[in-house]
Amino acid sequence: MSSQLVSKVDVDLPDAPSITAQRPYLRWVGMAVGLLVVLALPFFIYPPVAMDIAAWALFAISVDLLLGYTGLLSFGHAAFWGTSAYTTGLIAIHAGLPFPVAVLGGAVCAMILAVPTGYLAVRRTGIYFAMVTLAFAQMVYFIANQWRSVTGGENGLQGVPKNLGPLTDLINQDPFYFYYAALPLILIGVVIAWRTVNSPFGRVLVAIRDNPARARALGYDVERYKIMVFVISAGLAGLAGGVFSASHGFASLQELIWTTSGKVVLITVLGGIGTLWGGPVGAALVVLLEDRLASSGFNGIGIITGAIFVIIVLAFRHGIWGTARNGIGSWLRSRRRAREDA
Amino acid sequence: MQRTRNSMSSFARRPLALAATAVTGSLVLAACGAGGPSSGGGKISDDKVVLGLLNDQSGVYKDLSGPNSKVAIEMAVADYKAKYGDKAVAKNIEIVQADHQNKPDIANTKAQEMYDRQKADIILDVPTSSAALAVATQAKAKKKLFIDIGAGTTALTGKSCNKYTFHWAYDTYMLAQGTGATAVQNGGKNWSIVYPDYAFGQDMTKSFTNAVTKAGGTVQQSIATPFPNDNFSTFITKAESSKPNVIGIMAAGGDLINFVKQFNQAGLQGKTQLAVGLMFITDIHSLGVDQFQGTQFTDAWYWNFDDQNRAWADKFKAKTQTRPSFAHAGNYSAALQYLEAVQRAGTDNSDAVVKELEGKKLNDVFLRNGEVRAADHRVLHDAYLVKVKSKDQVKEEWDYEEVVSTIPAAEAFNPTVSTDCTM
Amino acid sequence: MTAFIQYTLQGLALGGFYALAALGLAVIFGVLGVVNFSHGACYMLGAVGAALLLDATGLGFWAALPIITVAMFLFGVLLERLFVQWLLRLDPLYNFLLTFGITLFLVDFVKRRYGVSSLPYELPAGLQGRVNVGSVSLSSYQIFVAVFSVALCLAVWLLLTKTRVGMIVRASTEDAERSRALGINVGRWVTPVFGFGIALAGLAGVLRAPTGSVNADMGSFFIIILFAVVVIGGLGSILGAVVAGFLVGLVEAYGQGYAGSFSQVLIFVLMAVVILVRPSGLFGREEAAS
Repeated sequence: MSSQLVSKVDVDLPDAPSITAQRPYLRWVGMAVGLLVVLALPFFIYPPVAMDIAAWALFAISVDLLLGYTGLLSFGHAAFWGTSAYTTGLIAIHAGLPFPVAVLGGAVCAMILAVPTGYLAVRRTGIYFAMVTLAFAQMVYFIANQWRSVTGGENGLQGVPKNLGPLTDLINQDPFYFYYAALPLILIGVVIAWRTVNSPFGRVLVAIRDNPARARALGYDVERYKIMVFVISAGLAGLAGGVFSASHGFASLQELIWTTSGKVVLITVLGGIGTLWGGPVGAALVVLLEDRLASSGFNGIGIITGAIFVIIVLAFRHGIWGTARNGIGSWLRSRRRAREDA
Repeated sequence: MQRTRNSMSSFARRPLALAATAVTGSLVLAACGAGGPSSGGGKISDDKVVLGLLNDQSGVYKDLSGPNSKVAIEMAVADYKAKYGDKAVAKNIEIVQADHQNKPDIANTKAQEMYDRQKADIILDVPTSSAALAVATQAKAKKKLFIDIGAGTTALTGKSCNKYTFHWAYDTYMLAQGTGATAVQNGGKNWSIVYPDYAFGQDMTKSFTNAVTKAGGTVQQSIATPFPNDNFSTFITKAESSKPNVIGIMAAGGDLINFVKQFNQAGLQGKTQLAVGLMFITDIHSLGVDQFQGTQFTDAWYWNFDDQNRAWADKFKAKTQTRPSFAHAGNYSAALQYLEAVQRAGTDNSDAVVKELEGKKLNDVFLRNGEVRAADHRVLHDAYLVKVKSKDQVKEEWDYEEVVSTIPAAEAFNPTVSTDCTM
Repeated sequence: MTAFIQYTLQGLALGGFYALAALGLAVIFGVLGVVNFSHGACYMLGAVGAALLLDATGLGFWAALPIITVAMFLFGVLLERLFVQWLLRLDPLYNFLLTFGITLFLVDFVKRRYGVSSLPYELPAGLQGRVNVGSVSLSSYQIFVAVFSVALCLAVWLLLTKTRVGMIVRASTEDAERSRALGINVGRWVTPVFGFGIALAGLAGVLRAPTGSVNADMGSFFIIILFAVVVIGGLGSILGAVVAGFLVGLVEAYGQGYAGSFSQVLIFVLMAVVILVRPSGLFGREEAAS
C-alpha cells in the first residue's frame, strides 16, 4: 500500500520529450490557433455559453496547476471560485465599480482566503490533502448559506451589474460583446498559469511532485512552494469565478457546493492533467454537453459524463488533450524516422 | 450591427443549429432572423407565439412539475385554439422547453437563449428560488414575460419584482397563512417549529410565527437544523420537550421525508399534530398515506376538489397516466391566461399583454377568484388547507387529500405590497 | 441532565450506524489502498434495492438484509473486476477519480430509471414503537440499528483478528510487501475484500431505508460525512473507523442539541483539528499520511 502511495502520478509532463521541444515553432503555431479559436468562439457558440466555457477552462487550469504540476488534488476549489463570485458581485453592487475591477477584487479575496487554507492543507498530500480542502470548502459553503444579509442565502446574490464605463450599455445589451470585454481577464489568468509552469518556479514544483524528499534535500522549502502555488491557483480560480458571476449577473450557493469542486476536477481530468490545454478542452466538452442535454429532454447528464470519465480514467489517463498530443507526437516522430530512413 | 453578426455567423452556426433543430425546431430561424427585443410593428412577432417551459426535469421537482408541465401547457394551447378557432390572434403557437437542473446559472443561460434565440415570448414555471430570481432579472432586461409557478420566494414580488414578472401559484406567506392560522383556530395553540437553516426555512419560520401569533397561538421554540440533514431524532426530542400541540416542520423534499419517518418512529404520529410548511401531493404519493396520515398543509390546488378540477384531471390523466399536481394546473392556467391576454391585446407585444393581465380578475380551473394584483404582480386566488387522508379513506390512486377549508383569495396572500417592490 | 443523557444515547445510536457505514470504506482502503468515492452510491443502491425488492416481490426488511447484502457483494466484485483492478498499481488518486465517475453514473442512472422521489419503505414489523427508561427514550428501531451495527463491527473485528483469513488480510493491510515476501498471495484477497466493503455499504443502506428518504441522492452528502469519519479515524484503520464513527455520531447529536444548525460544521471542524494534531488520524499510521 505504501509503495502505491509514493508512486507518482502517471502522466508524462513537460520534462518528457514533447513535440514542441523538437519543433519550437509549433508552440507558437499552437498558441496562435488557440487564440483564434478563443476569439472566434462566440461566433459558433451562444455567447453566454462561450463565456461559461472560458470561465470553466480557467477554473480547470487552476486545478491543473495543483494536480498536474504539483501533484495535489484539491477537492474544495469551489471555495475560491465561489468566494470570488460573491466578492465580485458585492463589489459591483455596492461600489458600482467596472466589472474587471470587481473581478480582480474577487480574485484577490480568494487568494487571501487561500493563505491560511494552504498553510494548513499543504502539510498533507494525496488523499488527505483532498479531504482537508473538501472540509474547508464545506465550511465556506456553510458560512455563505448562513450569512444571508450579505450573500442572499439560498436566493443568491442577485442583480450583479456589468459596468464598463462608456461601454456599459453595449456589453449589457448583448452577451456577445461582454465575451470580448471579459476575455482579457481569462487570458491574463492563462498567461499567469503558463508563466508559472514554464519558469524555474514551475520546475521546482514538478521536482517536488516527483520527489519531495529530494527537493527538500536540495534545499527547497517544499511547504512554502506548495503554499505559493496554492495561492496562485486560488487566484486563478477566483478570476474565473468572478468572470462567471459577472457574466451571469448573480452569485449563488451553487458556486460553493462540493459538486462544483467535483465538476472542475472532472473537467481537468477529462481534458488531461499536466497539460494546461486540457482544461479548456475538457471545459468545452462538459459545458457544451450540459447545454445541449438541458434542452434535449434527456435527463441524466451524469450517465454520460460519468461514463466518459470512467473510460478516460481507465484507458486514456492523459485525458483528451494529452492523448491527442501524444498521438500526434508519435505520428510526427514516426514520420520523421521514416523520412530519415528513406 | 446585430444583423450583420447574425448573418455572418448563421453559416458557421449551422451544424449546431441543425442539431438543436431536432429538439426545438426554432434555432435556425433564431440564427437567421432579425434580432432586437419585442417587435414594434407586427401584431405577432416572428409570426408565432413561443411559450418557453423552463423547469427541473431531472431533479427533485421532476415529479411535481417537470416534463408533464409541457403536457399541461399543450392542453392550454389546445383549449385556446378550440375556443377561438379562426379568430385566434395567435395562430402559430410553439412550445420550447429546457431542464435547468435547479441550477441558477443554467436557468439564466437557458432563459437568455429562450428569449433571444428561440424567440420565446414568455417563460413559465422555474422552480428553485435562486433560478427563478435569475430568470426574473432576464425578463426585465429583455422586456419579455415570465410567469413563475414552481418557486415560493416572496422576493419575486418584493425586491426582484418587475413589470414583466408574475408570481402565479404560491409563496411562503400563503403556506404559513393557511396552515398556521387555521391550525390555531382548530385548537393547536402551542407550537414548536423545526426549520432548515437557510433562506427558505427562515422565511417560512417568520411567516408561520406571525400567522400563529396573530391567530392567538404561541410559538414556544423554533429549532434550526442543518441543510441537508439526515438525522432529526435529536431535533425531534428538543421540539417535543416543550410539550407542544403542534410541531411545524419547514423542511422540504428528501429532508421532509427523513423528518416524517423519524417523527413517526418517535411515536408522535397521532399524539402531536404535525403541520408541514411546504408539501406536495407527490411527497404523499412517494411515501404513502400511512406516514403522513392526519398531517395538515396548505395546497394551492387539489385535483379532486370539485367536478371542474376532476374533469380537467381526467383529461390530464388520459395523456400522462398520472394525476396533476398544483404545478401542472398552474402551468396550464398561466399559459391559458397568457394566450387569452394576447387575444384581448390583439398582439404578443409584451407591454400590451402585461396591460391585459394587470389588475384583471381571472377564473379558470386553477384560479378561483383570481386576480392579478397590479402593484406587485402577485396573483391572488383561493388556497386550501388540506389534511392527508387515512388509508381506508383513499378510494383511488392519488386520492390523498381532504380539503379542510378554503382560504379566500383575499386572506390567502399577503394583503400588503412589499415596500421593496418598485416596478 | 436528562437532555444530555438523551443526546448521548442518540449520538451513540447514530455512531453505531456511522461506524458500520464507514467500516467498508476503511477495509477497502486498508487492503486495496482505494478511497472508494462510490461508497455513498453503493449505500444508496442498497436502500433503493431494498425498496425495489419490496415492490417487486413483497419481500420486506428481514429478507432484504441478507439478499441485498449478497447482491451488493456481487456488485462489488463486478466493480473490482471490471474497473478498480486496472488502477490498483497507480497513485490512489486514480481510483478515487474512477469511483467518482462511477458515482455520477450510478446516481443519474437511478434517477432516470426510478425517478427522484423517495421510494416507500416502512418499519419492519416488531420494531415499531419506542423504549422508555425514565424520561429518556429511544425508538426501538434506533436501538436495533445501534446494536446490530456494533455486533457486526465486532464480528468483522473478530473475523480479522481471530481467523486465518483475517490474519492474511490484515497482514496485507499492514505491509503488503512483506506479506508477499512471506509467500502470501495478497492479490487473491483483493476482490473479495472489495466486495465485502461494498456489501457493508449496501447493508447500511438497507438499515437506513425504513428511517429515511430513499432516493438517488441519499448518498451524495452521506459520503462526505463518511470521508470525515474515516479521515478522523485514520484511513485504513478498522478500529479507527469504528471509534471515529461513534465520535462523529456524538458530535452530531450534541451539536444538534446545543448548537442547532452548526452541528454539521462541527464534524468538519473536528476533522480539521484531528488532521492538524494527528495528521494520519486517530489510529492511522504516520507513514500512510505522507
